[in-house]
Amino acid sequence: MGAAHNYEKVRTMANAMEIYKLLPKTNCKECGKSTCMAFAVSLLSRELTVDDCPPLKEDKLKANYGKLSDLITPAQGASESGMIVHEDKCFGCGNCVVACPVNVADDPHGAGIGRAPTSDKVILRVKDGIVRTSNVQECRRFGKDKILCNGCIVTCPTEAIEFV
Amino acid sequence: MKRQSMVILLNENYHVCTGCALLCDDIEVITDGKKITEVKTACRKGVSRMKGCNEPMSPTVDGQQVDIDVAISAAANILKNSKSPLIFGLGNSTDGAQKKAIELAKQVGAVLDDTSSFCQGPTLEAIFNDRIKSCTLDDVRNKADVIVYWGADPSNSHPRHLSKFSYFPRGQERQRGWEEDRTMITIDIRKSHTAKISGDKFYQIPLQMDAEFIDALIDALSGKVPKVSFEFDPKRILELANILKKAKFGTIFVGLGLVYSLADMEPVVRLMDKLNEVSNFHLIPMVGHYNMRGFNQNLFNETGYLNRVKFEKGNSTDVQHGAEFSIVESLNNKTVDAALIIGTDPLSSLPRSVAEHLLDIPVITIDPCETFTSRKAKVTIPSALSGVECGGSAVRMDGEEVKFEPIIDVKDQTIRPSDEEILARIMEAL
Amino acid sequence: MGFGQFLAAPEHKVTIVTYRDIFQSAVMEEGRFSEEYLKLSAVIKMDAADIKKLDVKVGDTVLVKNKDNNGKVIVRVESSGYDSHSGIAYMPNSPWSNALVDADTGGSGVPRYKNIEAMVSSAKGESITGIDDF
Repeated sequence: MGAAHNYEKVRTMANAMEIYKLLPKTNCKECGKSTCMAFAVSLLSRELTVDDCPPLKEDKLKANYGKLSDLITPAQGASESGMIVHEDKCFGCGNCVVACPVNVADDPHGAGIGRAPTSDKVILRVKDGIVRTSNVQECRRFGKDKILCNGCIVTCPTEAIEFV
Repeated sequence: MKRQSMVILLNENYHVCTGCALLCDDIEVITDGKKITEVKTACRKGVSRMKGCNEPMSPTVDGQQVDIDVAISAAANILKNSKSPLIFGLGNSTDGAQKKAIELAKQVGAVLDDTSSFCQGPTLEAIFNDRIKSCTLDDVRNKADVIVYWGADPSNSHPRHLSKFSYFPRGQERQRGWEEDRTMITIDIRKSHTAKISGDKFYQIPLQMDAEFIDALIDALSGKVPKVSFEFDPKRILELANILKKAKFGTIFVGLGLVYSLADMEPVVRLMDKLNEVSNFHLIPMVGHYNMRGFNQNLFNETGYLNRVKFEKGNSTDVQHGAEFSIVESLNNKTVDAALIIGTDPLSSLPRSVAEHLLDIPVITIDPCETFTSRKAKVTIPSALSGVECGGSAVRMDGEEVKFEPIIDVKDQTIRPSDEEILARIMEAL
Repeated sequence: MGFGQFLAAPEHKVTIVTYRDIFQSAVMEEGRFSEEYLKLSAVIKMDAADIKKLDVKVGDTVLVKNKDNNGKVIVRVESSGYDSHSGIAYMPNSPWSNALVDADTGGSGVPRYKNIEAMVSSAKGESITGIDDF
C-alpha cells in the first residue's frame, strides 16, 4: 500500500484500568497528580509520559515500566484516542462506520454511502459482526488539533463505544 | 496528515447476506472451501447465518437416518395419502423454490401459507393493491429527509437498516450527513435501541394506542387540535405533525408493533392519504425473513392473493382464500391432516397451543438445520443454506429483486440439494 | 396452600409484549438447542418496582402463567432498564413466550404476540423450563 503510515504499529488499545494495574498504586503524587488513577488517565491522553513516574524506575517495578512503555506508544498507537469497543455489546450495525466523519472523508463511495468500506484508511469497519478499529491515529479525537467528535458514540444503539 | 493516495479496493466478490430481508449485497467472506470462516460488513445475525448452524439436519424417516432419496419418497407418500395437506414456510427459500411450492400445492390440493399470515401480510396486501404508496430503500438513501420507525426496532431486527439505507448514509440529495440532512423519528411503546438513536424525536405511546395516536396525528395534520385519551402533550403531536408536513421525501417503516396493534390497515391507509395530501410520504414494511415478500409476490402474481390460500386438487384455477386457510386457523380447526414445513419452525414461532396439532399429524420438514419442528417430524430432508450453498433470487423488503450466487463452491462436494430441487423431486415421486 | 404461602409468593398481573433481540436472533442461527439460546430466550424483563413487589431479585426465577392457565414457564427475571412501566413486561420471541400466547385469535389467524395477559410469581430456586419440557 502506498499510504504513509506504518500499519504494523497499530495495536490493541490500552485502557486506563489496564494502565493503572501496572502503576505503583501508592498515590505518592510525585508525578503531580493526586492519584495513580489520575496519572493513568494522563498517560492515556499523552499529557504525561511514563518517565514522569519516578517509582516506576525502581528495580521492583522495572518490568512494569517496560510493559507501560510498550502500551503507551509515543505516536500512531491506536490507544492514542482512548477509544474502546465493548465487543460483547456490539452487533455490527455499522452506524459508527457510516457516521464517522473520517470514514466518510476517506471513503465517500463506500462507507460514506452506507456500503462496505472500500478504502484501507477507514478507522472503523465491521468484521465477523463486530466493529474493529484501525488507523485510530486518524480519529479526530487524536493529536494536537483534537476535537471532541462523538459521531461513533451517539450513533451506537448499545453504548458499545467509549473513550477514556 | 495528507490523504493523497486513497486506495480503493474495488471488490468484485461481494456476496449477498440472506440473514434478513435487507439482503445486504456488499458482503465479503473468507472460506476454507467448505464453510465460511470470516465475514466482513455483515451484522452479527448475518454472520451467524452465513457461517451456518451447529446442528445440521440429517435425512430421516421416523427418527431413523435414511438416504435422502428414501426421505423424499416418504415425503411424497405422506402428501399422496393426505386429503388436506398444509404447505407452510418458504420465507427462507429462493423465488425458484417458492414457485415450485406453488406448483406442488396445486398438484396435491394443499392449503398454502407463510409467516406473513401473522406478520406483515396486511401491510404488503395494501401495497400490492396500491392502497399505500411505497418506495425503494435506495430512494430512501438518496432522498429521504424524514424517516419514521413505527413499532419497529431495526437495531435488533435489521441491524444495518439505519446505516445502509435510512439515517446515516449520504445520498444523492442528502449529501450533508444525518445531523443536518435527515430527521429520524421513532414511535413505540418502549425506548428501544432504535428509539435511543432518535433522541428527542422519540414518541412513546401506551400499548395498543396506535390507532388513537394515528387519528390524533391526522387531526394535527388537518390543523385541528389533537386529542388522545392517554396522557400525551398535544404540543408534541403538533410538533410531530409539523415535521411530517415539511418533509420533502418521507418514509414510514412499519414494524410488527404497529401491525399487531391494529385490527386492520385502515388507520394506516387514512394516515398515508392525509400525509400525501399535505406532504410526500411512502411506507415500507419491516419484513423479517429474507424472501417472505418474494413468496407473497409470487403467490399474488399467480392467484391474486398473497397468502392463506387453498388449491383444489388437480384444478389449477380453483383457489380459495381467507383467514380459515391461515396456518393458525388451519391448525386450530384441525382442517389439515399433514404438513410440509419449509425453512421455518412453527413449533417455535407459533403459540404452543396452536402448534400442538402438528404433533398429531405427519410432518415433513425441509431445512438446513435442526429445528423444534424437525425434531418432532416424521420425515426430515436437509436442504442447502440458500445464499451460501445455493443461489437464486429473492425480493428485498422494499420489493426490489436481488440475485445471488452460491458462495461455497458446490462442485466436487456432496452438498445438500436446494429447496427447489427437493420440491421438484417430491413432485416427480408423486 | 395456606394463607402464609400465598403471602410469601405474591402474584403480579402483567401484559407481556414480545420483542426481538439481536443477540438471541444471532445465537438462534447458530443452533436452537444451545445453552446460550435458552439463556437469552427464557427471560422476562420487568419494571424494577414490579420485581420488588414479587419479592424476587434480578436473576431469580419466576413462574409465568397465562390467564387461561394452559401455558406456564419458569424463566429468569431481569430489569428492563426502561422508565417506569408497571404492569407491562417484555419477553424475546421464543418457544418460552409462545407457551403463553393464546390460541384464540377470534378467527383472524393472528395470535396476540404483543399482548399476552399473564400472572408472574416467584419461583425462587426452581430451574428454568428446559427445551425438552415443551
